[in-house]
Amino acid sequence: MLKNIKTYFPIFEKYPDLAYLDSAATTQRPKSVNEAINQFNSFENANIHRGVYDLSNSATKKFEQAREKVARYIGSSNPKTIAFTSGTTHSINIIAYSFLKSTLNKGDNIVITLLDHHANFIPWQMIAQEKGAELRVVPINKKGDLDITSLGKMLDEKTKILSLNHISNSLGTVNDIHEIIDLGHKKNIPVMIDAAQSVAYYDLDILTFNYDFLAFSGHKMFAPFGTGVLYVAEKWIKSITPYNYGGGIIKNVSAEETTFSDYPFNIEAGTPNISGVMGLSSAIDFINTFDKAEMRQHISDVTHYCIEQLSTINDVKIIGTPEKRSGIVSFVVKDIHPHDVASFLNQDNIAVRAGMHCTQPLLMYLETPATVRVSFSIYNDRQEVDRLKASLVALIKFWT
Amino acid sequence: MTKEEIQALYKAHILPENKHPYHFEAKEGTSVSFDAYNPMCGDKFHLYLNVVNDVFDTVHFDGIGCAISKASTSMLLKKIEGMSKIDAKAICEKFINNLTNDHQVDEFNDELNTLIALKHFDGRIDCIKLAWEALLNYLLVKDLEG
Repeated sequence: MLKNIKTYFPIFEKYPDLAYLDSAATTQRPKSVNEAINQFNSFENANIHRGVYDLSNSATKKFEQAREKVARYIGSSNPKTIAFTSGTTHSINIIAYSFLKSTLNKGDNIVITLLDHHANFIPWQMIAQEKGAELRVVPINKKGDLDITSLGKMLDEKTKILSLNHISNSLGTVNDIHEIIDLGHKKNIPVMIDAAQSVAYYDLDILTFNYDFLAFSGHKMFAPFGTGVLYVAEKWIKSITPYNYGGGIIKNVSAEETTFSDYPFNIEAGTPNISGVMGLSSAIDFINTFDKAEMRQHISDVTHYCIEQLSTINDVKIIGTPEKRSGIVSFVVKDIHPHDVASFLNQDNIAVRAGMHCTQPLLMYLETPATVRVSFSIYNDRQEVDRLKASLVALIKFWT
Repeated sequence: MTKEEIQALYKAHILPENKHPYHFEAKEGTSVSFDAYNPMCGDKFHLYLNVVNDVFDTVHFDGIGCAISKASTSMLLKKIEGMSKIDAKAICEKFINNLTNDHQVDEFNDELNTLIALKHFDGRIDCIKLAWEALLNYLLVKDLEG
């Protein structure tokens, strides 16, 4: 099924020699997704929820069908557990500000991890500082895995939320969220999962994992930028309050007061990214044509081949050796700054990311100012890894 | 810009400067010190400048960054050592102007011309101007205060 996978993606028609190794930043868009967006914009465009004419009714229907599809994608039988947002960051901020902040008190604590992206770090830090609560950061071991014993000890009766990523966007660590969610629930602590790096390739069935909140972005699962999802478990739906006021979220408005719709509609003020949601819906169709286990197997094969090949270069040091790794590998090259590495790889049509990857606390802990990060998706292959290795070897030779 | 052109520029000026940067050491107690920091990539240099009678008398720096930002900071310090603050401000403005305009209009010495040529090396202009902008920002703030 993955054999001619590149033909699904128009970008590889335009750039056949492109080795795109930056899917943790954003995945490429399949033709079918682009066509779905274009179809809506060209022939179906109308605003939702507000018109009684055919085009608007049709747009509303498709938008709400997309909500149902997203719910099914994560195993939720209730589409009203799903809100459309602009992305993972937006979704996490909603839980921080519309769920937790009003009940967070001095002396409470919030537990996150050293592996978390700034998007799952700063919102909690901000409300903790504002309310005089404690932000507890779960450490990692030398391999780059979470210290689960410390995590367990950090959770107590004053913990108001545990929020962590499923997969580290810097090291590629796959966290055992099943075990971690259980740890939280044993102490009646709601758990939020940042699934930005996993949602395209992993089954995140709610019945299996029983998370309380789930956040992910469309653009890391073959959908367009500016689309995201927030899942809220039914038990918490009444606790989500509006944070952004405007049209589309109200029951009644008078000069004296306003009453609001229930979640998810109370946080979708203004006109949503309707065409983007059409793209997200199409992206789910695209993903559903594949077997996720096969996707993961393919990515794992390329990733482990990459680690094997990079390990043969003396001056390359891989950062982190987690027990379970996704398609993300961070590394440094002796005496060559990651930005220089990335720039020279670019000269060989190899697209990688260099920097701190929005994980400054993690890199500070690792005493590494920046890394080169390669991240694989279903359209990558071993030949691209060979090119990466050859380019790195040539760069090291040139540099010295 | 071709790979060969970039490699030639690196070989001629960037790599030697990166390997042997000018006055690359911390100097505590200078009259002026500030960071040149790019939070997007993590490049961070600390500049230690001693000003005597409005002239940059001695200049040092340390920190971490890519070869381009390190070489550029080194070249900046060589350029402004012994220069008045007014002249340093003028050279920073002129250099940044040539970096950000489509075409280079002013001539500099070989190594600064190399930096300006590297603006066509995609995505690296922020690395080149990091310390120059930090110094200019310091001088503009000082001007306002003065």
